[in-house]
Amino acid sequence: MRYERPETIVQATHLLAEADSNAFVLAGGTDLLVKMQSDGFEADLVVDIKSIAGMGDVVEADDTFVIGAGVPCAALGENDALVAAWPGVVEAANLIGSTQIQGRCTVVGNLCNASPAADSVPALVAAGAKAKIAGLGGTRMADVLDIPTGPGKTSLKKGEIVEAIVLDKPLARSGDAYLRFIPRTEMDIAVVGVGINLVLDEGGAVQSARIALGAVGPTVILAEDAAQALVGSKLEETALDVMAAACSAASHPIDDKRGTVEFRKQIAGVLARRAARIAFDRAGGN
Amino acid sequence: MNRPFGSLTFTVNGERRTAAAAPGRRLSEVLREDLKLFGTKVGCDAGDCGACTVLLDGAPVCACLTPAARASGAEITTVEGISGQGANALQRSFLRHGAAQCGICTPGMLMAASALLAETPHPTRAEVEDAIGGVLCRCTGYTKIVDAICDAATVDADEAIPEPGRAVGARIERLDGRPKVVGTEVFGADYLPQGAMDVRAIRSPHHAASFTIGDTVSWAAQAPGKVQVFTAADIPGINCFGTIPPFADQPAMAASRVRLRGEAIAIVVAETATLDEIDLSSFPVTWHPEPCFVSLDTEPDAPLHETRPDNLLITGFVQTGDVDAALANTAHVASGEFETSYVEHAYIEPEAGVAWPEGHTLCIQACTQAPVMDRDDTARILGLPEEKVRIIPAAAGGGFGAKLDLSLQPLIGLAALKTGRPCRMIYSRAESMMSTTKRHPAKMTARIGCDAGGKITGMVFDGDFNTGAYASWGPTVAVRVPVHASGPYKTPAYRAKARAKHTNGPTAGAFRGFGVPQAAILQETVYDDLAEKAGLDRLAFRRLNALQDGDRSVCGQELHGVGIAACLDALRTPWHRALDRAAEFNAAGGQARRGVGIASCWYGCGNTGLPNPSTIRIGITPDGTLNIHQGATDIGQGANTVVTQIAADALGLPIAQFELIGPDTHLTPDCGKTSASRQTYITGKAALLAAQALRRDILARSNMGEDARLRLHGRTLVITDGTASHDIHLADLPENPHGYVLSAEETYDPPTEGLDENGQGKPYAVYGYGAQIAEVEVDMVLGTVKVHNMTAAHDVGRVVNPMLAEGQIEGGIAQGLGMALMEEYIPGRTENLHDYLIPTAGDMPSIESILIEVPDPEGPMGLKGLGEHVLIPTAPAILNAIRHASGARITRLPALPHRVLAAIRATR
Repeated sequence: MRYERPETIVQATHLLAEADSNAFVLAGGTDLLVKMQSDGFEADLVVDIKSIAGMGDVVEADDTFVIGAGVPCAALGENDALVAAWPGVVEAANLIGSTQIQGRCTVVGNLCNASPAADSVPALVAAGAKAKIAGLGGTRMADVLDIPTGPGKTSLKKGEIVEAIVLDKPLARSGDAYLRFIPRTEMDIAVVGVGINLVLDEGGAVQSARIALGAVGPTVILAEDAAQALVGSKLEETALDVMAAACSAASHPIDDKRGTVEFRKQIAGVLARRAARIAFDRAGGN
Repeated sequence: MNRPFGSLTFTVNGERRTAAAAPGRRLSEVLREDLKLFGTKVGCDAGDCGACTVLLDGAPVCACLTPAARASGAEITTVEGISGQGANALQRSFLRHGAAQCGICTPGMLMAASALLAETPHPTRAEVEDAIGGVLCRCTGYTKIVDAICDAATVDADEAIPEPGRAVGARIERLDGRPKVVGTEVFGADYLPQGAMDVRAIRSPHHAASFTIGDTVSWAAQAPGKVQVFTAADIPGINCFGTIPPFADQPAMAASRVRLRGEAIAIVVAETATLDEIDLSSFPVTWHPEPCFVSLDTEPDAPLHETRPDNLLITGFVQTGDVDAALANTAHVASGEFETSYVEHAYIEPEAGVAWPEGHTLCIQACTQAPVMDRDDTARILGLPEEKVRIIPAAAGGGFGAKLDLSLQPLIGLAALKTGRPCRMIYSRAESMMSTTKRHPAKMTARIGCDAGGKITGMVFDGDFNTGAYASWGPTVAVRVPVHASGPYKTPAYRAKARAKHTNGPTAGAFRGFGVPQAAILQETVYDDLAEKAGLDRLAFRRLNALQDGDRSVCGQELHGVGIAACLDALRTPWHRALDRAAEFNAAGGQARRGVGIASCWYGCGNTGLPNPSTIRIGITPDGTLNIHQGATDIGQGANTVVTQIAADALGLPIAQFELIGPDTHLTPDCGKTSASRQTYITGKAALLAAQALRRDILARSNMGEDARLRLHGRTLVITDGTASHDIHLADLPENPHGYVLSAEETYDPPTEGLDENGQGKPYAVYGYGAQIAEVEVDMVLGTVKVHNMTAAHDVGRVVNPMLAEGQIEGGIAQGLGMALMEEYIPGRTENLHDYLIPTAGDMPSIESILIEVPDPEGPMGLKGLGEHVLIPTAPAILNAIRHASGARITRLPALPHRVLAAIRATR
């Protein structure tokens, strides 16, 4: 197995593009090192991206936050401006693993590992986050929603690396939230995860909404009908009922030891109600 | 990933260190294997257990998930680094609070806590729980760990050493605690003799299959270094073992057919570096999968073992009175059924050990709960005389029953015999979970009746217990369950049957309570129905039926020292307070409902109607060293400490003067196995008898009365009695073959009688009793259950060490809570600690322990066992509380949120 630690993103993309097969990007390593222990897992090339300048930075510009691929999730919680702007995204990222894992794992790693239960992804999708992707032909932007294509699979092409996550600064009168359901108090994989981002109009009613559901399908689900149900409302019970039912309808989970299909569909609705209340409060609604 | 990649320099505990490190190597591996810093433990290699937590530039990280390359130039702190000249304030707090039981999670806990305390010297409990949330502990229930971290800033005075005669009852630190907190304790994976090779097993991926092994010579020849392969054909002795000899049926390695996933078929032995380069999945074996069934839901076509038709291993049976008539003519009858899951012991230390030849003796230092059983079975498998096998138990990083069975002992023993070199084996987490024993899944039904006044009139119990592929402790479970299924209640008419049946599931063996926790869940939940029918308060109903001194058990045994009534009485005030609290909370309305539940336990200590002696030797050397040969393995529960406390008071010398020897089959007499809550009682009684005998000898030599005081000053033993004083000059006395000038050795075996065909007899000489109250909150929309408080009253006869007793209660409650709410082992699906969930610090309730002392006439100083009792009432108390809160009647464990929600819906 070859281990490379390139110092530029261009070198990294070339290494990946030229690899025969079984090439992996190493960021925090919290997923990759576990995979490397499993039987039959073969890595011919590991490209460690942490030495690439800028990978470890959260950069706040006038309109955006850019979160480098090497930024540990714990660092998001230490960035006051980011916490104030996107509390739901930060909460989701800070739910991944324990304190020990938090110091290593990254949001980009969480995205590119493409687990249907990834905690940060529904929050990012609700926030309308974009991925900055470096490749041989330069960089391109893609919606985070479009990165995972199935469990363990992404839309990244050979030689491409997600270099950073880009979040727009939130609009006025907006708020986001993420809630997940696990049977244990901490350190568990989401049975259902719900990310919500609400923007209110001047009258305090929902002007636009984005609702993303995790762990209830092979990839994150953008529940547009559910979001539409909240538009124009001030989260009255009737609107919440329609929204919750739409979340349940949009979910198509599997039955497993963590929960039945019926249970997961119902919980998606319950969590969405609770998350919507938090997002609404954060947006200044009452 | 492990080809040389230059070197890596970093600072470890203040020293610059360089390691030749391939970049993909884990920091945990470099610290342990290259730098020999064995204080950092590895429990899962996946970031799930946190045992390997170290500080990287001050921040806690899992060393198992940190590529060594990432540590380049960094400053690493391990448990060795905070120990300095001795224990620091945090480590002393751990000792003072009893925060380390087995000690395997302790280094990780200490490092996580150190990072917190560096920023927050006086943390709240919530902050501590958050900081240690990623470090799993299976022994303590976290309570004392949180206590210790919160109290780390307290400057402790030197511990007062109890005076002679005051050791029993004293809250003293565990005698073997210091190595556990400074990181020097030697667990199975922590001893690496010079020239040791590593052993890895080839295991079945199928639940049932026949197989043929191909050309292993050619396969081994492809490796970059010398590789040796051994199979069942290389086993020189009898390739069959079992914890109960008449039922022995398990091969150390399967010869041609496997009966469970994870069963070993071969071992591969080589230098570590060579093994790391080999892809074990390429081992030449052809599998022929066979039809399999892993649960009792499907019946197999053919028996797993030819001699056991219908896959029935054994049936346990107890009957007294005419129960059919009793239930036909009684005022109220309630019935129920219950199904439980496989539960994994989930100790944080996967099995590990090393074997080496020493002269003509094969030495094995590995984790175990039963050194003499290990010696005898390993000798038989390897064709050696028993005295040529020496078992030196490594510190066990948790056991809870699964380390009673042989695991790697015959494998490393065979490797060492064949190669003539030390051979080490460390199970991966997956290997440990796949191949070792579990708690029996049970499918049970019961009918219980009471008269109009609420007095129990009769009970029928029937249970099938999935004992998995091999016998292990299945017979014990099948026999213990009918003896205990009545609970600690007077039951005049009774019929109970328990069958242990084979499947291709994991072998179900011993797990804290031997099937009794499963049976208690059914009995105690049905009792709530009966109380309701009889119109009685649930605690009052239990108190009304509690066994009294002189009552006969369902086995016809006249009982003495019965403490269940005292336990229930002690809970009366907490019970009513808890009910009031719940009512007040619920009056506010909302989606959360609170409820209160209660359940009891009883449990017989020691083997069921079979001999199980312990022998203790105490001796004084010519130079005045006082040794106690203590052969009971201390797996964290505290045998080293409590047995010595008993000996100290019986002899009349201060506990601080005792030196612990053993356990070691070459140095300590047999103290049997650490199971069945027997060590404090049985080995404790052997220690009491040995110490009393030694004292009698000393008093006789000095012609002093019984009340004389002993003092050991250097080489002189001073005996004083009022004004008279007598010196025994130890160096003047002749030494016996053990090197002692004064010594005594005594054996104690509980006076029991076997059970007849109706299960009548005297199965145990001593029973312990207890009852627990659970206060829970149920989210009526999500189905989640939060246990807020547990109040536990346990009758231990006589408290030897309150701190250790509380530690058992808190740890037992944690395991009972896990069993009730989250733990379900599914073969092939949950072979890690992120799919198999055990409680974390944040899941634990606040626990109040009430220790009750109703002396037992047989137990030493009146004491009774406690280790398993503590787990039995927890799950039924929680289930009864869930029902009280929400109306949900759970009939299958674990009570996962989706099951709770479905049960809530069923009430509407």
